[in-house]
Amino acid sequence: MSTLVLDRVSKRFGGVIAADNVSMQVPSGRITGLIGPNGAGKTTIVNLITGMMELTAGAIKLDDRDLSTTSPHEVSRAGLARTFQNIRLFKEAPVIDNVMGGFHRHEKCSLVSSLFALPSARAETRQIREKAGALLEKFGMTRYASYPAGSLAYGHQRRVEMMRALASGPSVLLLDEPVAGMNDVEAGELGGIFRELANGGMAVLLIEHNMRFVTKLCEHVYVLDGGRLIAEGPPKQVTSDPAVIAAYLGA
Amino acid sequence: MMSDLFIAYRPLIDLFLLHSGFALGQYIVLRAGVFSVANAGLTAIGAYLSAWLTLRAGVHPALSVIAGTAAGTLVALLLSWPLARLRGVYQAIATLAFVQVVLSLNVYSERFTGGAMGMNGIPKVVSTGTLFISLLVTLYIIWAISRTRLGRAFDAIRQDEMVAASLGASVRYYQSVAFAISGAIAGYFGAMEAFNTYTIEPQRFGFDFLVAALTYVVFGGRRSIWGPVVGAAVLIALPELARPLAEYRTLVYGLIMIVVMAHLPRGVFDTFVEYLHRRRMARMDRAAIAKGDNA
Ligand SMILES: Nc1ncnc2c1ncn2[C@@H]1O[C@H](COP(=O)(O)OP(=O)(O)OP(=O)(O)O)[C@@H](O)[C@H]1O
Ligand SMILES: [Mg+2]
Repeated sequence: MSTLVLDRVSKRFGGVIAADNVSMQVPSGRITGLIGPNGAGKTTIVNLITGMMELTAGAIKLDDRDLSTTSPHEVSRAGLARTFQNIRLFKEAPVIDNVMGGFHRHEKCSLVSSLFALPSARAETRQIREKAGALLEKFGMTRYASYPAGSLAYGHQRRVEMMRALASGPSVLLLDEPVAGMNDVEAGELGGIFRELANGGMAVLLIEHNMRFVTKLCEHVYVLDGGRLIAEGPPKQVTSDPAVIAAYLGA
Repeated sequence: MMSDLFIAYRPLIDLFLLHSGFALGQYIVLRAGVFSVANAGLTAIGAYLSAWLTLRAGVHPALSVIAGTAAGTLVALLLSWPLARLRGVYQAIATLAFVQVVLSLNVYSERFTGGAMGMNGIPKVVSTGTLFISLLVTLYIIWAISRTRLGRAFDAIRQDEMVAASLGASVRYYQSVAFAISGAIAGYFGAMEAFNTYTIEPQRFGFDFLVAALTYVVFGGRRSIWGPVVGAAVLIALPELARPLAEYRTLVYGLIMIVVMAHLPRGVFDTFVEYLHRRRMARMDRAAIAKGDNA
C-alpha cells in the first residue's frame, strides 16, 4: 500500500511555467484523475514524477522514499510505471517482445549467465515469455503476439504499451491519455481493467480529456490550468466548479 | 582435389573468419545503441600488445592472446565513461578520434611498435581451425546475449533510450557492458590477426578497417547475428570474384554502404529474414480469415 506525494512541485522551461506549486496525492487502491486543457502541464507532471525531467522546486515522494532527484531507471525500480501520450513502442519488434521488455525490473540472472545463456538465464527468458503471454491473454491480444508492434491499430498499440507498463509489476501506474483515439466500447473495457488494478491495491493516476470516462472511474480529480492546480475533489463537484468551467471554455 | 581447393583459398578463408570477428565486435555496440567506431583502435591494441608480449618478452602466445583480449576490454570500459555523455554522431566522432590516437601512437612509439614498419616475424600459431572455433564461440556468445536479459536490454536501449530507462534499465550500465564485450571481441580477434599473419602495421587498423567493419554490419544487417557474418562473407568474396575490384576495395565498400543505406537500410540478410516473416504472417492471416475469425 503506497502513496505517491507531490509537494509544491514546480517546473520552469525558460519563461514558461509548466508546473507551479503543484501538490497532489496518488494513494493506492484508487484511480486519481488529472485533467486540464491542452498545455495545462499534465504530461509535464508525469515526466517530473518519472525522473525524465528535473524539478525546478518541490519534492516527490513514494511513501518515505524521496524521488525528487532519482534517475528514470531507479524510479522504475522503486515501483512506478508509465505510458506515453504519444505512444512509444519498440515499433519494429514483435508485440510479445515489447511486453517482455516490461519485465526488465524483475530480471535477476547474472551477467555471466546471460553471456553464456546458462540454464538460469534461459529459464528466466522462458518464464518472462510465459508471463508476457498471460498478459496478452488478459488484454485479448494473443493473436497479435508476433506482429510488429508498430503495425497494429492505434487502440491496440495503446494496449501493448499498457501491458508493458504493467509487466514491471508497479505499485504506481501513471497513464497519460490511455484511451485517446478509442471508441466508447474499447475505452470501457480498459476502464474495467484500470478499476480492477486499483481494487488490487495499485495507485493509478489517470490523465484524460474524456470527462465521462473520468467521472465514471475516478473518486478524486485534480484540475490543472497553466501549470497551477485550480480545483480538486470528487469529479461531480470539480466539473461544476466555475473556475474549471472557465478554464475549459477559455482554452 | 577438395584439399587443393582448400589450400588455394585458405588465406581468403582466414581473412573471412578474422573479419567476421571484427564485424561482430562492431555489431554488438551498435546493437546496444552506441554509435562507436572504436573497434579499429581496440583491435590494434589487442594485436600490438599480444605480438609485443610474445616477440619481445617471450610470453607464450596463449597468454598473449588473453592479455590482448583483456586490454581490449579494459580500454573499452575506460572509453565508455566519457562516451556515456555523448550521443549519436558525437560518439562516432569521439571514437574516430580514439582510432586516430591509437594509430599515431603505433606509428610514433617506434621502440615498442616498430613504427610505420610495424612488427614482423610474429609466429604463426593461429590456424584456420583456431579461427573457425573462435568465430563459432563468438557467435554462440552473441546468440546467448540475444536470447537472454542482456539482449533484451540492448534492444530496448537501441530502440528508445527513454522507454528503456522507464522500464528500469540503466542506459549507462548496459552500454558500458556492450562496449566491454565489443572491446573483448576486438582485442581477441586483433591478437588472432597478429598470430595468423606474421606481421602487423599501424595502417591496417586505420580508416580502411573502420569502414570495412561498419560496411559488413550495414550491408549484412544489424538485427540478426548472421547479418555481420553474411556481410563479411559477401564483401570479402566480391573483390576476389571480380579481380579488378580488389584494388579499389575501400572505394567499393564505400559505394556499397551508400547504396545499401539508401535502398536496403536493414541490410541484405535482415531484409531477407523480414521478407520470410511477412510471408508467414500473411499466410497466418489468410488462414485466420478462412476460418472466419477476423476479430
Ligand atoms: N520539453 C519541453 N521544453 C519546453 N517546454 C515544454 C516542454 N515540455 C512541455 N513544455 C511546455 O509546458 C507546457 C505544458 O505542457 P504539457 O505537455 O505538460 O501539457 P499537457 O497538459 O500534457 O497538454 P496536452 O493535453 O496537450 O497533452 C506547455 O506550454 C508546453 O509547451
Ligand atoms: Mg500531455
